[in-house]
Amino acid sequence: MQLNPCVKHKVVRKMVREFMETELRPIDAEIDRNARFPWEVIEKMKPLGFFGLQVPREYGGAEIDSISYAVVIEEISRVSAAVGLCVTVHNSVGAYPVVSFGTEAQKRRFLPALASGDRIGSFCLTEANAGSDAGGVETNAVYDKDGYVINGTKIFVTNGGVCGTSLVFANMEASDRPGGGAGVFIVEKGTPGFLVGEIEDLCGMRANPVSSLFYEDCRVPEENLLGKNGDGLRIGLAALDTGRIGIAAQALGISQAAFEASVKYAKERRQFKKPIGSFQSIQNYLADMATEIDAARLLIYRACALKDAGRPFGPEAAKAKLYAGGLSRRVTDRAVQIHGGYGYSKEYDVERYFRDAKVTEIYEGTSEVQRMVIARAVLSQPA
Amino acid sequence: MVSELPWDSKTGALKRELAEGMMNPACKCALEAALQIKETHGAHITAVAMGPPMAEEVLYEALALGADKGVLLSDRRMAGADTLATSQTLAAAIKTVSPDFDLILCGCRTIDSETAQVGPQLAEELDIPGAADIETMTLKDDLLVMERLLDDFFEVLEMRTPALVTVSTSGYTPRYPFFTGIEDAFAKPDITVMGTSDIGLNPDCVGMKASPTRILDVYSTTANKTNVVLKGAVKRIVADLFNAYGDKIGGAMGKDLQTHEHESS
Repeated sequence: MQLNPCVKHKVVRKMVREFMETELRPIDAEIDRNARFPWEVIEKMKPLGFFGLQVPREYGGAEIDSISYAVVIEEISRVSAAVGLCVTVHNSVGAYPVVSFGTEAQKRRFLPALASGDRIGSFCLTEANAGSDAGGVETNAVYDKDGYVINGTKIFVTNGGVCGTSLVFANMEASDRPGGGAGVFIVEKGTPGFLVGEIEDLCGMRANPVSSLFYEDCRVPEENLLGKNGDGLRIGLAALDTGRIGIAAQALGISQAAFEASVKYAKERRQFKKPIGSFQSIQNYLADMATEIDAARLLIYRACALKDAGRPFGPEAAKAKLYAGGLSRRVTDRAVQIHGGYGYSKEYDVERYFRDAKVTEIYEGTSEVQRMVIARAVLSQPA
Repeated sequence: MVSELPWDSKTGALKRELAEGMMNPACKCALEAALQIKETHGAHITAVAMGPPMAEEVLYEALALGADKGVLLSDRRMAGADTLATSQTLAAAIKTVSPDFDLILCGCRTIDSETAQVGPQLAEELDIPGAADIETMTLKDDLLVMERLLDDFFEVLEMRTPALVTVSTSGYTPRYPFFTGIEDAFAKPDITVMGTSDIGLNPDCVGMKASPTRILDVYSTTANKTNVVLKGAVKRIVADLFNAYGDKIGGAMGKDLQTHEHESS
């Protein structure tokens, strides 16, 4: 039988949308207002497989393709970007590095709890003095009697307040790292010396418990070093490539939500005895939104298709993330403009979309870093 | 609403290619009932849909939720079928693909035409007992015990399988699919597309040709309401209001407003 992948993605979209519209939509504004992590919805998402999207079946995951993955993140984020953030960070940089770089023993040990959602994952790179410059990381891991002792503070950790498993990016002593570079360590909740800091008070993504994480003489066994000695930077960069697809899809979901709200409002709102959608200024806004949203979606799907084909996709993921992030800022800005004074009010969802959009240009690599990645690829090609 | 769907005013048929590829809500409940029976007693579920090729989408959905096999009856000659022709076509398909069935579950009605006729007609065609609008059911061997809400009381019914039940939308809450279910539905899809000849029917016995009913028109009821604005001094407005609507307001309140006015004046 001829398989039409578009039908599959349509079915995935329909089914996720139905869940989100039923379970998450009724509380979308409330969880933002109260900065509350919606455990009641997360618990319903766990058994369906939302937390093991790209984990192989043998470790308890659903192992869906990357375009389906992007569709899932877009659809969650269309209703609540903060929940979309939780799911994509968990899957793409919390669990996927273990899938890609873990030893068989590490996969058996850590993946089932991640895939079931029993342990929510986080990826800890950013520090007070290190973000875009991963080389500036000050957290260190010292080898000591069959294990590593980690010391340092990570900030702005997505899922930080609820994470059960954190992947920590740390420098290793020269004598411990024959391969050179940094290491990524798997640290689980309950490990002595692993502490969760205050939840950040952020502009958007307020339903996600973004926090600092402290590692104070935190001792983990040698087997918790992900991959091999000196793999750290490679794992970090690969995780970010995958993570960027998710953040691009999240930005797309925010844009889609703002666009739909704008179209609805343009039809309803009347000024000068006509719906405002009958004015060319508003029509131009909507036409540009529709076109750019399609463009972003196709950029994301191309990066996904390359990833699933096992081909390099780093620059394509960077392009998708750069474009979708900027798009979400532009589209939500236009959406507020179309809504006028109401758009500036918390009574309307576009105000939340406007706040949520900005960070998609900042995390998982700022737009400036995406341009660095893209320019490096462009300039490395033969003239 | 039925009248909001894209109808072809010339033929009176629904332009199904324009309707979103969705599973009918009551059919979702029927599938849920089937899945619960499968979980309790074990069963092999075949989901049957009749429609254009894009209707295959709802069969993938059924497989993702836990159905074992999908059958799509898709043939241009089947187009424009009324409820009688539809039930005859479904009966022929069921006899072909699953002659030893135990139970046929249908949605009690579709949201596109709301006739609620296909299920009961299908029971007649298959010559089996049928019950419509069932809320819940339990199966004990070959005895099906069902509950149905009628006006303000519950009716308990029994019948022996093989039988047909049309399921209401209130008794069963459809589940959400697992991602593994969606993956499997597309990785190993067991969906058969069948035409008129595949189910042993004569082309004259399907579709519009075999349909004695014709839909002449579908429309929304329109209320011819107009707003009346009363102007002037308050006393005058109140008097005008009661002159014009006093009877209606009094009727709704169960009071004689005229008497009240006399008392106060």
